[in-house]
Amino acid sequence: MKLTENPIFITQRRITHRGGVLAGMLIAGVLGFCLLVGFIGSLTDEFGNARPAADMGRLFYGWIIGLEILVLVLGGFAHIVRVLTEDRKAGLWDSNRLTPMSPAQILTGYWFGAPLREFYMGLVLAGFGLVITLSAGLPPTLWLGTQLLILSTAAFFGLLALLMGMAFQRAQGLLVILLFLFTIPVSFLAPSRLLTNYLLPTYGIGHLFIATVPVSEQPMDQDWTSATHLFGLSINPVLLSLILQASVGVFLWRTLVRKTANPFQPLMLRGEAVGLFTWLTVAQQALIWSMWLGIFPTTAKYRNSDDIPLIIAVHGGTLLLGLMLLASASPQPERVRVESLRLGFTNFGPLFSRSAAPLALALAGIAAVAFLTQFLFNLADSWRILLVVCVNLTEVFLLFVLVLEYCRLRHRRRHLGFVALWLVLSCVAPLILALAFQNAGFARFSMLAPGFIALAGPDDTEWPPLFYTLMAHMLIVILLGLVWRRRWLGVIGQAESSN
Amino acid sequence: MLAAFNMAGESTTATSTVTGSAPENASLLVIEHLRVDFPEVVAVNDLSLRIEAGDVCGLIGPNGAGKTTTMRAVSGLQEFTRGSVRIAGRELAKEPDELKRRLGFMPDFCPTYDQLTTSEFLDHFARAFGVADRARRISECLELTWLTDKRDALCEELSRGMKQRLVLAKTMLPDPQVLLLDEPASGLDPLGRIELRKLLLQLRDAGKAVLISSHILTELSGFCNKAAIMERGRLVKFGTLAELGRQMDRHRMSVKWRAGGERAREILKDPAVAKLEPQDGGVLFDFLGGPDALDELLKTLVTQGVRICEWRGVGDDLEQIFLQSGAKELM
Repeated sequence: MKLTENPIFITQRRITHRGGVLAGMLIAGVLGFCLLVGFIGSLTDEFGNARPAADMGRLFYGWIIGLEILVLVLGGFAHIVRVLTEDRKAGLWDSNRLTPMSPAQILTGYWFGAPLREFYMGLVLAGFGLVITLSAGLPPTLWLGTQLLILSTAAFFGLLALLMGMAFQRAQGLLVILLFLFTIPVSFLAPSRLLTNYLLPTYGIGHLFIATVPVSEQPMDQDWTSATHLFGLSINPVLLSLILQASVGVFLWRTLVRKTANPFQPLMLRGEAVGLFTWLTVAQQALIWSMWLGIFPTTAKYRNSDDIPLIIAVHGGTLLLGLMLLASASPQPERVRVESLRLGFTNFGPLFSRSAAPLALALAGIAAVAFLTQFLFNLADSWRILLVVCVNLTEVFLLFVLVLEYCRLRHRRRHLGFVALWLVLSCVAPLILALAFQNAGFARFSMLAPGFIALAGPDDTEWPPLFYTLMAHMLIVILLGLVWRRRWLGVIGQAESSN
Repeated sequence: MLAAFNMAGESTTATSTVTGSAPENASLLVIEHLRVDFPEVVAVNDLSLRIEAGDVCGLIGPNGAGKTTTMRAVSGLQEFTRGSVRIAGRELAKEPDELKRRLGFMPDFCPTYDQLTTSEFLDHFARAFGVADRARRISECLELTWLTDKRDALCEELSRGMKQRLVLAKTMLPDPQVLLLDEPASGLDPLGRIELRKLLLQLRDAGKAVLISSHILTELSGFCNKAAIMERGRLVKFGTLAELGRQMDRHRMSVKWRAGGERAREILKDPAVAKLEPQDGGVLFDFLGGPDALDELLKTLVTQGVRICEWRGVGDDLEQIFLQSGAKELM
């Protein structure tokens, strides 16, 4: 079915046009025109001296790009989330699902139909951007490359918006925007080495802009101008952005199609979670591989002080990604209960295989293998770091699953609050106390501490306490595991009694 | 000429607006041992129904009995734990997409795109269902639901009853064989309810199988030939109204006579007769017994010389069936 024949696309187009698109296009036009006039005016200074047109062009085209990202990426994202949540609440989503339209047709209709107004506005801004770029004598490839990146990011964010709109009743998808905005300051730590810079258009656009500056005038920070490296192999950053967005987009699309066909399944299947986690963690480790080339420094004297926050940020990102995927793949207890009723299983084995606990172990294993690449050639010296980081990662993933599933079983709809409380108490609060009292001792109580401390290069005297801490965490995992198992068995018991 | 499906699933044509004819003993909707679990409760438990072509089955029960959940499960919107749903002999779980054209579900609320006109709204679903000759079919459905004069009105301008009719029109667009109507009359005014009754009778005559839930029992009895009474997720009673009537052990009766009143009053002192109330030319009473015993009572009256000019059940049949089913809390 062609997009123009897609009923949802047609309906969204009718709704958008009825709501008026001229106002939005006029606003975009006025903003674009002001920037064009500003560009022309800035070609001479207050004394009538000419300024370099290319410099002024980059400045004003940069503003256009900022506006385009605001309108097309963030505005489009928010619009899709809103339309989808409203249609779900109104029952129109279900009405569409009851028609012979395939899940892909339904999703495509919303994906391209809902943000039409933003698309028109982006088109107007892009037109002014082209005029400024050509007038400033900048290469057309700058305009083409940046527009391609913006469109691809808008499409990627559109898929995220569909997922958010399907997963939540309210527009909590805005949290994703905040999360991504939060990654921007972090991304300046090492622009070419953080994966989020490629999932967002940040590095690609920065790279394209700096490439138009004469070499003698380029900023000292070579990180913005040099080619990106994956395990030492160079790759064009724009291409890497497009590949990353497309590949993650494929995972999102599969999830969306599956959820549209059967909304009772978990947000992500375990196979999909493993695939996505593998791809993203390996890609991230590949990006930072060129820092040490497999010889992760084991003592502070080898270490560039800039590398410590970066490696800690990467470790934190791995943790965060793992927790998000575990939360998405963890099954709803009610679904497991229904399955136990349907299939008639009464022992713990099938329950365990349905829980996200095996997935936690799998993700920790994948992270360990990806992380191993940094230690390939000095494992004899650095095995303790690898061991502590990987065991800590496993403990955190397992504990998170146990707490999440226990809270879902025990508190049902209120489980999110309890899980958040656990995260704050066991992970974040000790770190805040350590900062507040300027006492690193508090930080050791955080579940996350062993991994971060190990990566920061501790003295030999600090290793034994780290291992003791890990063992204490392990004991907590085992105890909680017993409570969690008991609660799951209760679910089967309920199922049997209602049979 | 409108497209429709015959029992073999082939496309046929018919001249009437509601197409098809009623094949005999063709089970269009078969639900077997349906069970739906919710976190705290078994919403539908071991429910089995069989609705044939030309049947209009009233699904009755108090709030929370599982009527809407049953309809959602049959339509494919609600996952069920066990059981099977067959539409025209084909399993819903195995061929969900194929059966989407054969099943029309009208929910108890009115999901509409408020910024579209009624004809645009129907056009959306006509495209989605791949309806041939969309414009004509949309006009027909608007006419069927008395919305022709509102074809250019925005959905947000419609009253609740009109929206209800619009969603009914949407449900009928692909000319489905089985219709699930959840409280279709709840927002309609008296005239709308009369028209709805006519429409349902048309659907019945066209051989559609209709499962309809409503709280308004007097309305259901006007066009239902079957009833399914649910309570706490279970099916309490199911059958044709005649079958259910035969199962009743209490009948409110009205009897009038031309002569022999004294004799009649003597006979009606029978222990099976209760709540005797005089009325003009006769009496009203409750008879505590089955249809056979009631026939016996009539025979006694006639043979004892009472000249009876009226002998009929009072009140709504469906209401009586419902009241005697044990599921008494309607609202």
